[in-house]
Amino acid sequence: MSFLTIEKIKKSFNNETVLHHLNLSIKEGEFVTLLGPSGCGKSTLLRTIAGLIHPDEGTIHIDGKNVTEVKPKDRQVGMVFQSYALFPNMTVQENIEFGLKMKKLDKESIKQNVARVIELVELTGKERSYPRELSGGQQQRVALARSLVTQPKVLLLDEPLSALDAQIRKNLQKQLRSIQQELNMTTILVTHDQEEAMAVSDYIYIMNKGHIAQSGSPHEIYTRPASEFVARFIGNYNVLSRKEISNLFNDDNGYTRDIYAIRPEAFSEAPVKDGYEITGKIQKMTMLGNITRYELEVNNVCFIADHLHKIEEDSQKRETITLYLNRKDVISLT
Amino acid sequence: MKKSFYHYITIGIVVLYLLIPLLGTFLYSFATSWHKTILPEGLTFKWYIELFGDIRFLESLGRSLILSLGATILTLIIMVPAIFSIILYAPKLEKIVQSLVVMTYAMPGIILAVGLIRAYSTSGVSMVLITIGAYFVGILPYMYQGTRNSLRNINAETLMEAAEILGASRYTAFIKVIVPNIMSGILVSSLLSFSILFGEFVLINLLVGGHFETVQIYLYQKLSQSGHIASAIVVCYFILISILSAVMIKMTRQKKETI
Repeated sequence: MSFLTIEKIKKSFNNETVLHHLNLSIKEGEFVTLLGPSGCGKSTLLRTIAGLIHPDEGTIHIDGKNVTEVKPKDRQVGMVFQSYALFPNMTVQENIEFGLKMKKLDKESIKQNVARVIELVELTGKERSYPRELSGGQQQRVALARSLVTQPKVLLLDEPLSALDAQIRKNLQKQLRSIQQELNMTTILVTHDQEEAMAVSDYIYIMNKGHIAQSGSPHEIYTRPASEFVARFIGNYNVLSRKEISNLFNDDNGYTRDIYAIRPEAFSEAPVKDGYEITGKIQKMTMLGNITRYELEVNNVCFIADHLHKIEEDSQKRETITLYLNRKDVISLT
Repeated sequence: MKKSFYHYITIGIVVLYLLIPLLGTFLYSFATSWHKTILPEGLTFKWYIELFGDIRFLESLGRSLILSLGATILTLIIMVPAIFSIILYAPKLEKIVQSLVVMTYAMPGIILAVGLIRAYSTSGVSMVLITIGAYFVGILPYMYQGTRNSLRNINAETLMEAAEILGASRYTAFIKVIVPNIMSGILVSSLLSFSILFGEFVLINLLVGGHFETVQIYLYQKLSQSGHIASAIVVCYFILISILSAVMIKMTRQKKETI
């Protein structure tokens, strides 16, 4: 049963269409990510759901109610912004209280609710601090608490972690996901970071130029990219033409599509049954922490292969390497 | 070191150049008489006693305050929300505001005064109100600039969106979130506007003149009667403006610290 339904949403700015009749359906308690490069319309879509942008056409239903014409303040959604958007004149406590005061809750329940979310986002002891006295990660947790305390039907996150350091970002990703699961909060995250999307989502919509390029679980998206755009966007896929594929495998039977993708980690050093054997010249080797990336060349075709890093590796002296590839890891794209 | 020595000399000369007239005025306001000597012949509080004993001075001071404060408060109540709305919700109109800002500079006071007299003198509207109206337009540049900069600093658009999503109406969001955060910026612009209006002479003299005597008009009349009293007025005026400037500087400093 769909909790949030978006039907045929269209939006143009200055005669340029940013959202082309999009359809999305999100289940209750699901963590959904809108993933795409900048300018793909993902933020516009999120802001349309929040009610900050009015669509030209189409409808939005939340929990069975048509909210297309409902003002943001009455939509019962929560939103966290990339820039935190905390109120600088208010303390952490006052920032979080704001939404409840607007709902005109009595003092006692405001106090209880605020204390509960402060504990949830692990900011106990910071109630009297002003936003400027907190670090970026703490500020964003205040912003999250401020949105959660009003118990919104949908939580909207607009690149909430993009302004943070890598390590804090990773920690907050985990925290975000566990809070979301604890509260069973229907959540929509907008990001351009495919790793972040893979790490936290139940379901991903990949957007490109105002269209949905592909949707599916992180696993489906990663293992079965549907188009060249998705393959290039979500990872370090080797995207090869038909000619390059037949050169690479010395085999042109069966490859009739124009374009194919191969995951760099699909190449293995151990032989696979009924697979291809490829011996390539090592052009370059890069150590990326836990993986080693080879840039290889076979019959004038260049590609990359990733291996888990092994301590005893001595490939630096090697000039060629023989790798094996399962036939089903060659994915045809449209 | 040598370089800084020359710096001190130049700055010293400039300071002297600026201070000597003030110092002269200051001394003259305390002098019994000062004609043929380098320094005053004697010091006295007589002129100040006379000045503050003159009900006309106190009344004119009150009128100046009412006029400048009135125009400034009117501007605050009307112009700040207007500029806020234009910047956030009708950015296309900002160009019009900007050209209005330029026009207030382009229009010389005399021409403005003559124009206003011709347009309104027979309309029956009190010229004092017309003056307040003209002042309202006159301080537009300061209020516009101050409000706009403050709004930019706090990223007002996102704050409004955040407040609205949390259930606040635009009005509530403006009062509770935007106003407290741009207050110091607005106050500085208001103080600046106020001190400019307080010293304004051209418009008020031509539009209302003796009917509504302000400090500036009073000063102008005293100039021909007693240089000592005129000096005393200038000193009082100068002290008032210094206090206002000090408050402004303190406020801008505080603002910088908080950011």
